[in-house]
Amino acid sequence: MLLGLDVGGTFTDGAVVADGKVVSVVKTPTTHDNLLIGILSAVDQVVKDIGSQQFTRIALSTTVVTNALVEGTIDQVGLCIIPGPGMDIRAALPVEPYILSGYIDHRGCAAAEPRQREAAAACRHFQSCDVFAISGKFSVRNPCHELAVAQWVRQQANPDHITIGSEVSGSLNFLRRTNSAYYNAAVWRHFNRFAVGVETALKIRGISAPVYILKADGGTLPLGVARKYPVEGIFTGPAASVLGIMAISPTERRVLSLDIGGTTTDLALWENGVPLFAEGGARVGGFVTALRAFRLSSVGVGGDSLVYRNEGLLKIGPMRKGPAMAAGGQWPTVTDAMVAAELIDFGNRQLALEAMGQVAIGEQTIREAADAVLNEAVNLICQAIDDMLAQQASQPVYRVEDVVHGTQLIVEKIIGVGGSAAGLVPLVAKRMGLTYELPKQGMVANAIGAAVARPTVDVTLRADTAQGYYTVAELGIKNKLPIHNFTLSDAHQLAAEHLAELAERRGIFLGATEVIQSEEFNVIQGFSTIGKIITCRLQVKPGVLMNHEEGL
Amino acid sequence: MMNAQKLGLVFFPAFDWAISETHPERQERLLYTRDQIIEEGLLDMPSIREYKPGMAAYQDIERVHIGVPDIRTLITDAHLVSAGGAMAAADAVMRGEVQRAFALVRPPGHHAMRVVHGTRGFCAINMEAIMVEYLRKVYGIRKVAIVDTDVHHGDGTQDIFYHDAETLFISFHQDGRTLYPGTGFTNEMGSPMALGTTLNIPLPPGTADDGLHEVLDHLIMPVLADFKPDIIINSAGQDNHYSDPLANMAITAQGYARLTDKLKADIAVLEGGYSIEKALPYINVGIMLAMAGLDYSKVIEPDISKCPKQSLTVARTIKSLIEEQQSMWANREKTRYEAVAKAGDFWQRKRRIYYDEQGIDEQQIERVRLCPKCSGYLTIETEARGSDFGCKSAFAGVISREACSQCRQMATDAVHKAKKQGQYQHYFVQNKYEDRLEKL
Repeated sequence: MLLGLDVGGTFTDGAVVADGKVVSVVKTPTTHDNLLIGILSAVDQVVKDIGSQQFTRIALSTTVVTNALVEGTIDQVGLCIIPGPGMDIRAALPVEPYILSGYIDHRGCAAAEPRQREAAAACRHFQSCDVFAISGKFSVRNPCHELAVAQWVRQQANPDHITIGSEVSGSLNFLRRTNSAYYNAAVWRHFNRFAVGVETALKIRGISAPVYILKADGGTLPLGVARKYPVEGIFTGPAASVLGIMAISPTERRVLSLDIGGTTTDLALWENGVPLFAEGGARVGGFVTALRAFRLSSVGVGGDSLVYRNEGLLKIGPMRKGPAMAAGGQWPTVTDAMVAAELIDFGNRQLALEAMGQVAIGEQTIREAADAVLNEAVNLICQAIDDMLAQQASQPVYRVEDVVHGTQLIVEKIIGVGGSAAGLVPLVAKRMGLTYELPKQGMVANAIGAAVARPTVDVTLRADTAQGYYTVAELGIKNKLPIHNFTLSDAHQLAAEHLAELAERRGIFLGATEVIQSEEFNVIQGFSTIGKIITCRLQVKPGVLMNHEEGL
Repeated sequence: MMNAQKLGLVFFPAFDWAISETHPERQERLLYTRDQIIEEGLLDMPSIREYKPGMAAYQDIERVHIGVPDIRTLITDAHLVSAGGAMAAADAVMRGEVQRAFALVRPPGHHAMRVVHGTRGFCAINMEAIMVEYLRKVYGIRKVAIVDTDVHHGDGTQDIFYHDAETLFISFHQDGRTLYPGTGFTNEMGSPMALGTTLNIPLPPGTADDGLHEVLDHLIMPVLADFKPDIIINSAGQDNHYSDPLANMAITAQGYARLTDKLKADIAVLEGGYSIEKALPYINVGIMLAMAGLDYSKVIEPDISKCPKQSLTVARTIKSLIEEQQSMWANREKTRYEAVAKAGDFWQRKRRIYYDEQGIDEQQIERVRLCPKCSGYLTIETEARGSDFGCKSAFAGVISREACSQCRQMATDAVHKAKKQGQYQHYFVQNKYEDRLEKL
């Protein structure tokens, strides 16, 4: 029995999945002042509904990290960076960092050493800080400088927590890793307080199931690990919804999913059964980070979007002024148009017709006004779809073959979820000449998604055979290569072993794995090949635990 | 546009293309550059926007080149993408989406001449020239200045624009007596009608940042100011770097970045540069920061202490070179007038062109009509031989963009006449007036 909880802006949704079936769904108001109250209320309702609290797992998708950032309940972070020569990134960071000497070059060689007395000076500079973040350029190629500085800071200042850049992301991008490390340290205390609250409250209720935190890339982390990497728990709402789609409507086709809610429509593109990821990572508070997240696009149209005229011109949203008139609201909405056009049966149809009467101008009948509203809503959604597809098509590629053959994604089908999908998705599909699907439990896709999200983890292995060593950034490893003629397939095998090691360390079941990046280049000196640079990135395949409760 | 971003970047490292396995122009040439650019976070800077290259059409290429027997069989898809990358950079600037653009693309092109028999100096088609003619065709640009900052003389670009008074071609490079391709001397100034619009600056080996910036401040920048181009193109070769394995200069990443900052080229296109690990990552980051208007002062090679100092002899040679070319530039109108008067109706040159990649030896005769009404026309007789290559020959007439009706007729007649005589294997009319290459 898998319990999923998704804390949204209005409601905290809960869903229980057992043997691949949704057996309970609950909705409670979100308690913004203390999220835990709403979460526990949802848990209590579920327990009451199914008469059991023997969950195999509880997975949480919360806004706790987002709220900490919005409300400013974050810690002051002693951010130490080791940038070496190159671009000055200070202006692109959320806070002023302390700059330390030392440099790792792009091959992972230490070109200049860090200095202990500078680390000591940084500790004095950040005297009032109890949490630190340390990030160095090319630390994913060689973490030794970051680790040395962390050691010095620990000795000197003994802070409550230190986040290390190469541990939060194994990918290249010093700027993004630095921001990820900063935010991780900043929300660490707030998240840990929440985590302790969750653990204590469940213990009191006698619920002993392990708790997992949903990540923005659709994976989950055991709460204990999430306490070390709390920033991973940000932006999980849309990810929960996308996973829900994966669970209730699995597909291998090229799909566009539309999650049409009260005020927004979230778009995601899918290929081979999984949604596409955002290039580089998500943005937090306007700053780029290395946080892996689905590539989502959002447009301000939903069922509750306000319908009005501006100098005669029909306008929709993005604001909401209350529920639909059909549901007792005071202003015309998109939902009223859907009811008036007989697309859905909801609320009081007479009131919906009145709403459309207010929108009609000139000779327009009420039905024509409703059609005009729906047409405009479809326009806005289709425009967002076109923009997203154009953006996808203009993603840079670095190989001749990819330019020649193109990388454009041709959508074959639309899947619609969310409260307002039933009325609008058929119209969007018709406009685009595509088929569509409206999964039955689409209204609570988010909570289902949280319930069944599979735990994931990834490693990046980079071998430099000319230098005779390899690194796995996520594990802070720099080892000698095990054999002389190390090949790409050896790299895959070695990466698989380290992935298993990391999975075990994080208490994650190692299910199906997949290669997400694989490249091999010769290293040539003069005119002879002296070695290879091999990079491969392996992950536990994200997905859903729908058919059997593997991996728990 | 007020909200235009500063720099458009077309990054195309062609990770699946090489001339041959251990050739300097191979898959990983820009691998370390990619790693550096991504690790720095440059692509996440709000002032930088990345563009994807398209593929150039054969028509875009034949606006510049005459391939013998045809261009298709002499190039690969990679060349089409590299040229397409330069064109995408041009589009980004001309549409006003960005202030400047950098086509960080390979394969390179500045050794490719108008007539193409194969690959020479790693180049088969000329990316900058294709882009320049595209700018003229699509956006109506007229006066163009190309500044070639590669260590090797940009002989291909010089060849293509040698008779074009609207294109100023400036190349500084390591002296041709000491380096491939062995040309680029001060007396190569353009054919009579375009005399002075080819400006060569053969620098002595060992030239460092100081010497280079002397040349820039006292020669290149004033000449550009005089010429008043509509657009400035930088053939951004990076092999003047002190660590380059194929040359002997002493320029640093800072030297290149400051050059970029002063030149303020509208579009830069990557050319050579084969110190792929020690130089390219730093030079490219420096160029990108300078073009994006960001601080580049911290871009310093970790092994900067290995950069040799410039000798006094080198400094003196540079000083006299600057004086010589300053006076050439100052007197160019008079020299041109005299050269035109001396040449009469036609000007002719005979050359040997060597294709180092394939061991092809080309003999070429160019005849330019010095027309009183237009920029004239050109005929080319070419014969190329090589041991594996065999022999290929062609006769071509080139009609310029704004040729008068008489020149258009004369060029066509010349090709027809040659065909009747049947001395060559292939016959072409490169008709820029009608934007097509015709094979007779």
